[in-house]
This record gives sequence, C-alpha cells and structure tokens, in this order.
Amino acid sequence: MQKATVVVIGGGATGVGILRDLCMRGVDAILIEQQDLAYGTSSRYHGLLHSGGRYAVKDAEAGKECIEENTILRKIGRHCVEQTEGFFARTHLDDEDFEGKWVEACAKVGIPTIPISVEEARRLEPNLSAKIKSVYRVPDAAIDGFRMVWQNVASARKYGGRVMTYTTVVGIEHSNNQVVGMKVKNTLTGEVSNIACDFIVSAAGSWAGEIAALAGITVNVQPDRGTLIAFNHRIASRIINRLRPASDGDIFVPHGSITILGTTSASVDKPDDTIPNAKEVVELLNIGEALFEDLRSYRMLRAFAGTRPLYSADPNAKGRGASRGFVTLDHAHDGLKGFVSVVGGKFTTYRLMAEKVTDLVCNYLNVKTPCRTALEDLVDDASPALMAKARLYFPAYGAELAASRLGSEGLEKVIDRMQAKPEKRQLLCECENVTMAEVEEAAADSTSFMISDVRRKTRMGMGTCQGAFCTFRSVGAVDANGLSWGKDTNVLFKEFLQGRWKGIRPILWGNVMREMELTRGIYEGTLNINGAIDDEGK
Amino acid sequence: MMRENDIIVIGGGLAGLTAAAVAAKRGKKVMVLSLGAGTLTIGGGIVDVIGYLDGNKPVATPSAGLLQLPAEHPYKKIGRPAIEDAIKFFKEICEEEGYPYMGNLDTMQWVPTAAGTIKPTCLIPKTMNTEELQKANKVIVLGFESLKDFYPQLITKNFKKISRFKDKEYETVMIDPNLAEGRDVTALDVARWLDTEEGISECITKMRNVIQPGSVVIIPPVLGTRPNYRIADRLEQALQCHFIETASVPPSITGLRLRTMMVSYLKKIGVRIVEQATVAKSIVEADKCVAVITEGIDRERTYYAKSFILANGGFYGGGLLAEPGKVIEPIFNLPVEAPEDHEMWANYSLFSNEAQPFAKLGLEVDEKMRPLDADGKVILNNVFVAGRNLRGYDYSFEKSGNGVAIASGYQAAMSV
Repeated sequence: MQKATVVVIGGGATGVGILRDLCMRGVDAILIEQQDLAYGTSSRYHGLLHSGGRYAVKDAEAGKECIEENTILRKIGRHCVEQTEGFFARTHLDDEDFEGKWVEACAKVGIPTIPISVEEARRLEPNLSAKIKSVYRVPDAAIDGFRMVWQNVASARKYGGRVMTYTTVVGIEHSNNQVVGMKVKNTLTGEVSNIACDFIVSAAGSWAGEIAALAGITVNVQPDRGTLIAFNHRIASRIINRLRPASDGDIFVPHGSITILGTTSASVDKPDDTIPNAKEVVELLNIGEALFEDLRSYRMLRAFAGTRPLYSADPNAKGRGASRGFVTLDHAHDGLKGFVSVVGGKFTTYRLMAEKVTDLVCNYLNVKTPCRTALEDLVDDASPALMAKARLYFPAYGAELAASRLGSEGLEKVIDRMQAKPEKRQLLCECENVTMAEVEEAAADSTSFMISDVRRKTRMGMGTCQGAFCTFRSVGAVDANGLSWGKDTNVLFKEFLQGRWKGIRPILWGNVMREMELTRGIYEGTLNINGAIDDEGK
Repeated sequence: MMRENDIIVIGGGLAGLTAAAVAAKRGKKVMVLSLGAGTLTIGGGIVDVIGYLDGNKPVATPSAGLLQLPAEHPYKKIGRPAIEDAIKFFKEICEEEGYPYMGNLDTMQWVPTAAGTIKPTCLIPKTMNTEELQKANKVIVLGFESLKDFYPQLITKNFKKISRFKDKEYETVMIDPNLAEGRDVTALDVARWLDTEEGISECITKMRNVIQPGSVVIIPPVLGTRPNYRIADRLEQALQCHFIETASVPPSITGLRLRTMMVSYLKKIGVRIVEQATVAKSIVEADKCVAVITEGIDRERTYYAKSFILANGGFYGGGLLAEPGKVIEPIFNLPVEAPEDHEMWANYSLFSNEAQPFAKLGLEVDEKMRPLDADGKVILNNVFVAGRNLRGYDYSFEKSGNGVAIASGYQAAMSV
C-alpha cells in the first residue's frame, strides 16, 4: 500500500502548485490525477497571465491578487511566460463611460494602465481594427499552461514529490471523523488500491463537488463551459483585451506562433462537457471581428473548450456572476478532519492558492517551514556550457526552444539520447519543432500512457498539420522503444487523431477541411488503421 | 493567334491526367491546367477501386463491391463497362511506359502498409505484389536508419495479429544509408540514393550483410523515383530476394512514379501541361463555357476551348471551398447541396464504421459527368466533372480514391 502524509487530488495548476509547496516544506506528498497532468481546465483556457485589469472593476480583490502573482510568475516561471504586455482596446461598440471607471479601478489596486494613441497602438499592432476608439497598455503576459504544470511537477519531484496519473478517487476513508486514507482506481488497468494518508487536499477544480460528495460533503461548484479558438497566426504580438465589462470573446492571446481567442461562457451540468461546436466558433468570430476586422481570413487550428470551476456559497450564482476569487474549505467544519477543498480561483493566482492551502495543511501538521514557492525558480536555467552542447545537436532555433520547454535536467537527458543516436535529432514534429529524442524522453516518463500525454509534454501534434505527419512517427517511435504501454498501435493512432479531431470538427471549413482530406487520406485511405480485415478474402 | 483547344482539363491529379490521356487518344487537342500533383504524391501509387461498404464491411472483390453501391455513388453513374474500359486503358498506359500494374476487378489485393495493417486495393505496381509474402515462412522487414517515416517493428508486431500472416516468422533488420548529416530523411531521399549507381551498389553490399538469399523482404517504398522496375529487378537479382514495397505516409514514392509516368505519356501524345495554373473563373455564355481565366502574380490569362473537364480535386485541391454551412464551387459557381447546420457535416468519431458526411459533399452530375442543378437539369453542356469534385463517395473510408479518379476521368473524356 502507498503511503503519504498528504494526498493532493487534481493535476492542474492548483494541484501541482500545492504538491510543490508541500514538498518544498518537507511534507511527504503524492498527487493523483484522473487523466493526464493539465488535462482539465489548466490547459483549456486562454493561457493569459492576467494583469488583473479584467477583474479590477467588478472584483477588486481578484484584480489585486492577479497583479501580485503576475509579478511573481514572470520571475519564477519565466520559461513558461512570454512577457508580451497587453492592450485594453475600446471599440466603437463599447460604452465610453466604462473606460473611466476601469482606469480608476485599476489604479486603486495597483495595476498600471498607460494610455496610448490609437495611431501608436495600430503602429505596434497593425492588424487592429481602424475603428478602435482608445487603447491602454497593461502588464498582461502569455503563459503556457501545459509547461507551467509540468515544470511545477519537475520542481516537486526534486523535493520528493510523487505523481500518479490516470488515477481516480473512488473512496475517502476516515476513522473517528479523521481522514486515514483513500481508495483509488487506475483508470487504465481498472486496478483498485489504497493510499494511507493523514490529509487530503482536493484541488479537483470543476470536479471538486464530485470529490467532496465521496465524503458526504456538499461543495457548490458550478462548471461553466468556455469555448476558445486557436488561430495558426500571431495576429498580434500583445494580448488584446476588449475594454468593456467582462463578456464573451473579449481576449486574444498570442502564444509562440499562434493566437487564442476566447471565450464563451455557459453553465453546464458536467465538468467534462468539453466538446466545442461550430455555432460557438461562429459566434466567437463575430465578436472577435470588432477588434480584428480581418479575423475570418486567418486560418484556424482548432477550437477547444474547458469548464471553469465557479464556486459559490450560494448555489444559484452562475456564469460571470460568480466570483473568480478562491475559497479554501476546511471540511473539519463539516465534521471531517484532514480534508480540505480549494475551489474557485484562476490560473494566474494558482501559486497564491497553493500557498494558502499549504499554510493551512502545515498548520495542522505542525510544520513550521515557511513558503518559498515565490522565491525559487520552477526549473533551473540551462548553463551556458549545456546550451553550447545543445546547439550542436538540436536543429536550427531548436536549442533555445527545447531548453525552455525541458529545463536544465530534461535538456541534458534529451542531449544524451541525441548523442547516442544522431538520427534522433531529426524533427518528428516539424510544425512545433519537436525532435524524436524529446518525444522519446517524454514518452518514457512515468506519467505517459498514450501519445496525447506526450503531446502535452512536448507540443508535438499541436501545430498547423494537427498530427497529419507526426502521429505516424510518434506511434512508430514509442513502439520502437518498447513504450507502447501494452496497447495495440492502432489504438494509439486512433486515440491521438480522435483527440485532434475533437477540436477540428467544429471548424471544418477552409484550409482545415483541406487538411482533413489529407489526414484521412493518410490514416484511413493509405494506412487503413480503421478498416476491418477480419472477413478478408471471403 | 493561339489555336483553340478542343478540351481544357482543369487539374493535374490522376483524374485530370487520365481524362487528358483519353481525350488525346481520341484525337482531341488537349491542354491541362495544373496547380499540383493532387493526391498522387500522398498515397497515389495504388489504384483502390472499392474496398469497404457502409458498416465498414470489406467486400470480397471490387466487382462484388461495385454491385452493392447506392445509386448516388459516382460508379453507379459511370457504369460497369466504362469502369472496365477505364482500367484497361490505364493498364495499357502503364504497359506502354514500361511500368506495368497488376490487378483486376475480380481480385482484391491486400497490400501491406507502413502501419502494419493491410489494405484492400485493386491495381498495384509489381513491387507491391504479395504472392511471395503469402507463401513465405519467414519474412524480413527492412528499415533504414534515420528514415523517420518507417518503423519495421510496427509491421512485424501487427502482422502477427493478422490471420493470413500470423503463422510466419518475422525479423527486422536495419541498414544505414548514411544520409542523416544534419537534416531530416524521407523515403524520397532513400529512393534518390538508390537511383544512383553508388547508392544502389552500397545498398546491395549492406543488404548482403543482413539478409539471406531467398528471403521475402518488406521495405518502405524506396525502389527508385522513376516509373520502371529497374531498381527492383537489380536488387532482386543481386540478392536473390523478393522485395515488397509498403503503402506509406507522404511523400509517396509510388505516387510520384505514377505521376511521372502519366506526365511522360501525355507529353508523348501531344498534351500540353501548364503548371502552376490557378484557374479562378470562367466565361460562360448561355449553357456553355467559352473560356477559363487563370490568375497569376503578374497577370490573368484566358484559355479558350470547346469543352472543359473540371478535375481540380474537391476540397483538397481547391475545386470546392467549404464555409460554415455552405460549399462553393469557385470557377463555374456550380451548386453544391450541403447541410446548413454545420454540426451535420461530420461525425463525432473520426474513424468509425461510418463514412463522413462532409467527404460525400460535391457536385451532382449525370451519366456523362455533366453538372446538374437541383432539378436534375444539365447546367453547362460542355463542362464535365471528374474525381474528387463528385458527390456521393468517401474515398478514405471506402478505399476508392484513384478508382473513381480513373473511371470518372475516362467517362468525362469519352463524353466530350
């Protein structure tokens, strides 16, 4: 039986943040995640590191937390953050009165807003609509949710943290109103086992209500579904927010060579209601055209959806009416000691949430070590010597990219693979510049069980062709390394391509349609990974 | 003054090239306006006619499959005799060009793929013949170090699960073509290496070290870039082995050979091929097209002809353009019926036992391949449609792509 002092439930930003914090304070902790790390909400959002400007008017507290955490994450997570800055732009459709209120509210909580002329804004961002009325600069940034989660785990592991993916909680065990352990199930094998522990922290996000229910406790989490579009272009170099009260389709965030537009907001019954549809995409395009008139001429990569875990003590509050602040619920008040849920909140404030929760847990455990998560970098920088070595093996531009993706330790391991076999230096995914050695390294990690897990760690398959070429290669490569996780390779093909299809289906027109003819031509037409062959020759 | 063409073919994929060949053989003056190779360089070296019906059930032979198709399918309009003639015509070209294909409508050929599956098809180059494979007790799968698009163990492992291949002994071997210096290696690089005298000699030497005479060897499609069997014959003689090429991911070398062969044949029979020609619009008078207009960086050009064959590849080739809830045929503005609700275009499962609705969208035609309006009336009397622009079939799902291309290209050219 596994044992840990604390079990953290949920492998999103909050969960991994708590795991890291606990481990840095010397607490023995294990994290369990129902799917892969960052599978849930932490990878299904804009990837915006908020300045707080978005919340300042309605939720000053959230605005203040954002600007403070924004400053910290730029430093400790610099390999995940692109310091783009942001614009708040008021279009001809937006209320002029709101502008003054917004400037004032930002000033109150310490968010710098610098007005610039529309001409200057359009010089810096030439694709912006000519109909923009006013523009302000704010310290927004872009943040890679996958990488942030993964690097938190890498950091936690250095301090003894353990992670189990594809593991769900099926029971919370207690004795004399005190948590003593939990029953978990491996979703891939169906195997049920126990983890003995003194404390459980539920950071399950949209699933927090379901987890609490296992202990007979009610937590009101209302999953709120948001759909976003990823464009295959850097439409702007900065984050562009619409200067109006928070609403649908207001934010454009550039990430590397792509841009994400979002989001919609709709209350849903199930936390895993994440299939986007064409109608939502068309709506987002309609709204987005107010900021970028040529929006429809940009090629889309995919649409995706996630559910925000909106918490409310009042179960009737929904959607944008519910607070984006976070709450730590100590279920000792509900009669069960050693069980805490953390609900609500935002990606930007995940570290702060983790700190507060870890403080509470440490208080119970009588651990006095202070929190250091704001002081220590998530991953070490690669040394100049290591970078020089990396440049010998990585293809052009690839070394810097890989260094920030992998951190120093991971980079070293990948270079070892490339040294041993020079052909591993080849790009397995040309769209995202991912080498075969990186894919093999990610596949060999103990949290990888399918190609999508490798994708989340490397970005393979996330570029223009959405897996048309690299799916075949990644399946071939992991299989050649004896890493196909006991699965039929045809299952690996289908799992990965179906995952890509989920985001392509709602945008199936234009060049995306063209790309799909190609992808299906390869995998269905040529490789026949789907066709039945059992009654062949009859 | 430019002499007017009898026929202008729009599209340089297999449908367009076949149509041009048929029309030229009938004594017409033909010009092809081509923007690219279509799907020929994707998986185009094999001619699938029909492999699966609804429910994803494999058919015993292409002939049997043809009988069971619904009325909306292009093959139903073309009819069995024309399909047979088209295949005969195609095989004659291959024969004449020194790159004969094997197969007929009464035999299903199951060819090995690079994913370790097998796929049903109809016409294949001789290098994909699996007769020896079926007889062999021991099979070698040979890969090339650094070729990132071929993984021998995918084939050996999966073949052990296929009933007709499971009772064999499999071995994987690798040879190093020494091509990895600083860049990525595709099957095209290996094929070009084998095209050279030094390459093939070196390859033979390396193969001798790892394979025994008398072996059946499965390899990626790398047996030369040219449409002939010289590389294959040379290897087979030197090593006394039988080589079988697999259906693979792009770049498809077998498809490249097929295109090279078709283009060579067309040039011999006097067809003019204009490359990089983007046809943007047409000049239509009453129920006839007078000319089409190409767009270039520098200027527009007008091409006149008595008849036109539209074979520019559906959504992939740009012959059809999809918008939310709408499909446009950009050159003649021909009508395409499509569900207004975009959610109806595609299944939730990418690969299942159903065809994809979007893949079946396209132009409605009569038996002569002339475009029809919603009332079933011919819209343009001298325009004929071929290949992927046609509605009513999902080539990936049913495995029929090049078969429809050849048959409809043939039918269109015969109808002119």
